[in-house]
Amino acid sequence: MKVLSRAMRGVREHVRTQLVSVATVALALFCVAAAALAAENVGELSRRWGAPMRMTVYLSDHATAEQIEALRSALSGLSEVRAARYVTPSEARAVVAGDDAVLASAGAELFPATIELTLVPGATDRARLSVLSERVRRLNAVSDVETYQGITAQVQSILASGRLAAGVIALVILLCAMAVVSNTVRLSLHARMREVEVLRLVGAAPSYVRSPFLAEGALLGSGGAVVAVALLGALFVLFRSRMDSFMGGALGMRPVFLSGFMIAGFVLGGAGLGATGSALAVRRWLKV
Amino acid sequence: MGRPRIGAQFGRAFRPEGHFDRSAAHKPILVLDGVVKVFRADAPVLRRVDLTIERGEFVFVTGPSGAGKSTLLKLVYRSETVDEGRVLFCGRDIARLTPESVPFLRRNIGVVFQDFKLVPYWSVFENVAVALEVAGMPGRVIRSRVALALERVGLAGRGEDLASVLSGGEQQRVAVARAIVNEPAIILADEPTGNLDPVLALDILGLFEEIHESGTTVLFATHDRALLEQSPQHRLIVIDDGRTIEARKGLRAMGGALAAQRAQRDVDDAVATARLPL
Repeated sequence: MKVLSRAMRGVREHVRTQLVSVATVALALFCVAAAALAAENVGELSRRWGAPMRMTVYLSDHATAEQIEALRSALSGLSEVRAARYVTPSEARAVVAGDDAVLASAGAELFPATIELTLVPGATDRARLSVLSERVRRLNAVSDVETYQGITAQVQSILASGRLAAGVIALVILLCAMAVVSNTVRLSLHARMREVEVLRLVGAAPSYVRSPFLAEGALLGSGGAVVAVALLGALFVLFRSRMDSFMGGALGMRPVFLSGFMIAGFVLGGAGLGATGSALAVRRWLKV
Repeated sequence: MGRPRIGAQFGRAFRPEGHFDRSAAHKPILVLDGVVKVFRADAPVLRRVDLTIERGEFVFVTGPSGAGKSTLLKLVYRSETVDEGRVLFCGRDIARLTPESVPFLRRNIGVVFQDFKLVPYWSVFENVAVALEVAGMPGRVIRSRVALALERVGLAGRGEDLASVLSGGEQQRVAVARAIVNEPAIILADEPTGNLDPVLALDILGLFEEIHESGTTVLFATHDRALLEQSPQHRLIVIDDGRTIEARKGLRAMGGALAAQRAQRDVDDAVATARLPL
């Protein structure tokens, strides 16, 4: 408690320096938060598009209506399946042909009947999907199964690269932020060298000298993190409608903000970052 | 036979646990034994300095600028370490203290500097109280002892003032209050009047005299001859070219005018002697 009050006294006595410090740290952490937000949305995109979303079960020509219905019913009961819809050859022709008059005039028997499965997002990974498709393929009324794994694998790969890039950028910015915090605390220390000198002179133990600076670094870091998240949140709210229309139309998802858990982690991380940066600065400057 | 291990004999003095060796009370408060301090190999600052200071003494250390007065004091409060020799404080070799023990040594030494070394944005009270706070004293004790110290230096009732608004003389009084507030065994004064006008300088010297009269050992470094002449009754050590010369022992019994003459002559003689090739 005494350490905190001494740290607060340091903050009060150099309010202007501390405000500049918090602003600098907030700017650095804002970049980290933006990278984290990008990573979060890429993650959401990955969950939305990277996982297998649908599966097409091609029915054999001699499948009876009872068999088809029994199969559809059985498939819709699977935990990985959200919906199972029977598509007749005529419907398949209409979907494939679209505005093409030639295809539209082709015989319906050329288009196999299918059961289109919509899968539960996140419930099906590649291995489970392979097992599922293999089981379905062995059924009598089924001629083939399409899992679109090639496409999802490609999407997964692109999104993984995006996530990795966001992670690397976040890490680089994090290191920069740590350097910023360290230098900021060092500046603060420089302004308070007389105080440190006096403390050492009157026999303060090294921990007594260091502890308020570490607490101050933690306060600085967490304060900067709060400001950064607040700034990012304000910008997010401001541009949300524009992002909604873009992401909803192009990607079929709504933009997401950092979760409460992430925000708490970010503020705690900011405090840790501040304390670490402070420890680095203090170690270099206070050889007590 | 090597040199006896001082640490083994006085191992419990100035330990973090706060235990003190009782026998330390009967030893000279400060002994410099063959002390050598070198910053530049071709010009040692101190060359085999031998000096013993007994409890309750008031000792002036003088010499030209750069002679090593401040270095000598720094060796005592372990801001610097000796290159050769020993510095025994209450019988304990300071050079052999662990870094963890150094703060405990400093709590037993009051130091006053030419530039006061006050924190300008702290109040007078805070600047004095810090010496007790670092030792973890309770607030009630701190308040009463700081009030007493401020009263001793003539600043009673000024605790709330910011250090930065005080005059030079008042700032130095605050520094003296900080040095005496935890009743240290010795006070080191490094040119404490260097930034003050002659009248204030004598005023501050008077303050140190009062502190000394209450039994505290004072080691007062100055090159101000007026101060040396003002207090001819005190022992005078001259440092020149890295060596110490005992310029005079206590002159308490001598009259004022004669003592002043003697003081002047002693300083001149000692400096001249120090410059002779040995």
